[in-house]
Amino acid sequence: MNAMRILVRFKVTPDYEALREADWAAGEGDCSDRSGAAEADARAGSGVASGVETRYVPRILDCFDESALEMALRMRDATASDGVPVDLGAISVGGREVEPHLKTLQALGYERATRVHVDAGLDFAPTVTASIIARYVQETNKTDLLMLGCRNGPDDAGTLPFLVAEELGWPCVTQVTEVMVLSDDRVRVAHMVDDGLLRVTVRLPCVLGVGNAVVARLRVPTLTARLARREAHIEHVQTSDLGIDVVSGLAGESYVLTGLEVVRRDRSGTIIGGQTPREKAQTLFDSHLKSLMGKL
Amino acid sequence: MSLSRETIVEGLKHILGADSVVTDERILRESSIDRFRMFEDIHGVYTQPIPAAVAMARSTEQVAGVLRFANEHGINVVARTGRTATEGGLETAVPDSVVLDGSGMNQIVVIDAYNMQATCQCGVPLQVLEDRVREQGLTTGHSPQSKPLAHMGGLTATRSIGQLSTLYGGIEDMIVGLEAVFPDGTVTRIKNVPRRAVGPDIRHVIIGNEGTLCYITEVTVKLFPYLPENNIFLGYTVDTMKTGFEVLREVMVNGYRPSVARLYDPADGAYHFAHFVPEGLSVLIFVAEGPAGIAKATAEGIEAIVARHPECRKVESRYISTWFADLNWGPDKIAREREGILQTGNINRTTEVSGDWGCINDIYENALRRIIEEIPDITMAGGHSSHSYINGTNMYFNYFYNVVDCGPEEEVTKYHTPINRIICEETLRHGGAIVHHHGLGKARTPWVKDEYGSSYYILEGLKRAFDPKGIMNKGTIIPA
Repeated sequence: MNAMRILVRFKVTPDYEALREADWAAGEGDCSDRSGAAEADARAGSGVASGVETRYVPRILDCFDESALEMALRMRDATASDGVPVDLGAISVGGREVEPHLKTLQALGYERATRVHVDAGLDFAPTVTASIIARYVQETNKTDLLMLGCRNGPDDAGTLPFLVAEELGWPCVTQVTEVMVLSDDRVRVAHMVDDGLLRVTVRLPCVLGVGNAVVARLRVPTLTARLARREAHIEHVQTSDLGIDVVSGLAGESYVLTGLEVVRRDRSGTIIGGQTPREKAQTLFDSHLKSLMGKL
Repeated sequence: MSLSRETIVEGLKHILGADSVVTDERILRESSIDRFRMFEDIHGVYTQPIPAAVAMARSTEQVAGVLRFANEHGINVVARTGRTATEGGLETAVPDSVVLDGSGMNQIVVIDAYNMQATCQCGVPLQVLEDRVREQGLTTGHSPQSKPLAHMGGLTATRSIGQLSTLYGGIEDMIVGLEAVFPDGTVTRIKNVPRRAVGPDIRHVIIGNEGTLCYITEVTVKLFPYLPENNIFLGYTVDTMKTGFEVLREVMVNGYRPSVARLYDPADGAYHFAHFVPEGLSVLIFVAEGPAGIAKATAEGIEAIVARHPECRKVESRYISTWFADLNWGPDKIAREREGILQTGNINRTTEVSGDWGCINDIYENALRRIIEEIPDITMAGGHSSHSYINGTNMYFNYFYNVVDCGPEEEVTKYHTPINRIICEETLRHGGAIVHHHGLGKARTPWVKDEYGSSYYILEGLKRAFDPKGIMNKGTIIPA
């Protein structure tokens, strides 16, 4: 039986929750600044590509990509004893910040680990990223199923799965919450649609965009597993190897961060007085809940 | 003859009123433990005896009434406020215990800006007190990671310490006076004075007693000017922990008192600083604060000391200030932690000890080596020093493991206790102290006699004198 070859694309993003409110400001590196290689180089790793200064906060795995990575491991585990063999690969487009995550994935059993090196930040540049991923899949011809998160943080419009699928000419299912291997060329997929959860059988090759799945956290490798895979090879690919000119691609992007506005969701509140919980509960009922219940 | 659960509940209702006695089964189960058994809690498994009730006290008189009742009938009482304990101190080790909860005693009595002290009841969250005093340009100087959740009573009872301790000290340096209730209902007040020499400092009978001698109902703490505009953040990479300890030592010995003085090893540091520190390096962090001249002089003094160590390389200070702003733990991080543990089976534990400058690196190296060699399923093992003194520093071991091939109820015995054993053994062997600031709880009582040595006589004497019937938090500090 042939192995199902799964490639998971992931992105390492700034931890926006660690960003102080004062740091949410359109900075000097906003996205209108895409005029050439010098500028792109200057932006490399600066963390200002989206216009918000994110350099000073830690980098984390994008949460939807994290789901995709764990899902793929569970597909491998589920078929380990008597099912379809699953061969796992992981790919990311970025700089050195990607490497520790690739090592972690290798320790967890990802056989193939690839970093496509780019000098410039690719935030707000989904067509460039899509071209890189699609070209890599085509050039290597080792992928039956491409999985990736539906959306990478606040600077992502959620278009990447569609764009990659379009370039590859593969079907695409998004908002995926569960995947089950049926055979070496079929998977059963649950995905969110407007009216609920839809389960479909998909023939490979295909692209799956992972959404708000229950499986949200990536397992953690032991130190022993890390030690065993510490010499594992990480494949480094240049965009020029794939025939892609990132700088020209970025110049074609038209996103400009013009400003930021905090969406306030503050609501007024009332502190209910009273000596005992019973008294407070009665006040709550009398003054607030009773009238609401009457409308039901 | 011991009372039945029903009789205990009735007795408590008589003292506190029915609304203040909680007997909901879910709450009782959750009240049988603290964060030491959070893995069991996350999986809904409770192995400790379930208390008879949670008694919500709202006054010192009510605390005294409950303690008198418990003392008369031999009922074990577990004192608590903010419930952030990590070492099993809040476990109800005896069936039909009463959990005496002071979180409802949450009034700030007075903020005395002239005499620079604030008095509050035991259930005042530190964050609330800190926010209130900051409105007057003041600070308590106390900033443990649990600040958003912990209450003043518990912080005092466990001898807590905060991230700014190198300047402001631990809670024992901040407490001016306090009120406490002893098992027989005696209410004692230690008055608020700058210092006195009238015999032993009896505040220290109360501070750190972990509910084994008395119940703390009110505390008065010192206040300081709050001058964040003068803060200077300094960060450096350093090749080895040994050099890092040496820099910390030189800073302290030369008389500088930064509020923050920290040293992270590569493993622990990678969790915080991977976005700007190359793999394999340790990280030194300092914050100089206070009046502008002092902050400036402190920062310059530290810079001069670091400059004598060529392997130290400075990092941009904004990395440090940004990191420091996101350090505390509130309900959101607790919720995320629980979700992560449930999904991955990977749990983070810590054990904090201290030692003098001559032994701290040996404690660090030997304990860490043994943890990695002897404990299965470790996913990270590292540590940091975060509280320094003229004669030594602490080591906060920080480790993660995957809980595999065992039930939730075995997590403590399979992993956490063996790791605690290694750390305590190595700390004692080198002459350090087995607990730096979490309190002994029940988790580290197996080593308490070795920790105290001949002075254990004094500890036992205190217990005999103030809790002769042994109703106060059985199994905590003093082994059951």
